[in-house]
Amino acid sequence: MKINPQIKSDLKKFLLEKIQKEKEFIHVLSPYKLDNEEKNQIKKKFNNLNWDKAVFQIDDSILAGIIIKKGSKIIDMSLYGKLSNLSHTLYEID
Amino acid sequence: MENLGIDAKLLVAQIVNFVLFFIIIKKYVVKPFLVFLENEQEKDAEKTRTLDKLKLSEERLVEEESKMKTKMKKEMEEMLAQTKKEAQLLKADLVKQAESDAEEIRKKAKKQMEEEKENLYREIKDKIAKTSMFLVETALKESLDDVTKKRITNYILKKFEGKVNLYEN
Repeated sequence: MKINPQIKSDLKKFLLEKIQKEKEFIHVLSPYKLDNEEKNQIKKKFNNLNWDKAVFQIDDSILAGIIIKKGSKIIDMSLYGKLSNLSHTLYEID
Repeated sequence: MENLGIDAKLLVAQIVNFVLFFIIIKKYVVKPFLVFLENEQEKDAEKTRTLDKLKLSEERLVEEESKMKTKMKKEMEEMLAQTKKEAQLLKADLVKQAESDAEEIRKKAKKQMEEEKENLYREIKDKIAKTSMFLVETALKESLDDVTKKRITNYILKKFEGKVNLYEN
């Protein structure tokens, strides 16, 4: 099936814009609602990031800790991430 | 002579008769008979010669037959030896080929077994890791309350040091 070049171009433009917008936002995932003290602690810890457009979300699956996402980049400090790393290490050990 | 009772004329006549008889017998009886005898002797000699020739020929034939038999026997033995040699070579080749094939099959089977073993080992390891992960995750989900989660989060943040490294997902 041949895709209309115009639609293709529009879709590409839309996605690029979306990615660009996403890049501007910082998403912080935590298993519970973070209080202001914790938020400030995080902002202080990662002061090299621009926290003007920060979104704090709750995600039970990460168990504990936090995950910071900026565009396609991730800082994983969750218990789930640690377990996942441990699982990979176990798998790689002969 | 007359006193002795011998008639001279009769004697002469008898002598003439005898001479004539002798000449006639010699010419017409003895000579053909001698010729006949000579012919017979000649025929006998010819027969003997022919017989000798035949005997010689027969001896030659027997000798040739014997030679031929010896030659054939020798050739047959040579052929048999050659065939035996070739058969042994062929047998050796076949055995070698069979051994080579068997070795290849053995190697292939060993490799396949090792691969299967490795795959099985990986599969089991994967399953163990996944099951362990699932068990730990389920246990933690059930056991962690908000206070503990908060404590762990604070602990992680407190322990986190150094420069922030962002990585692409």
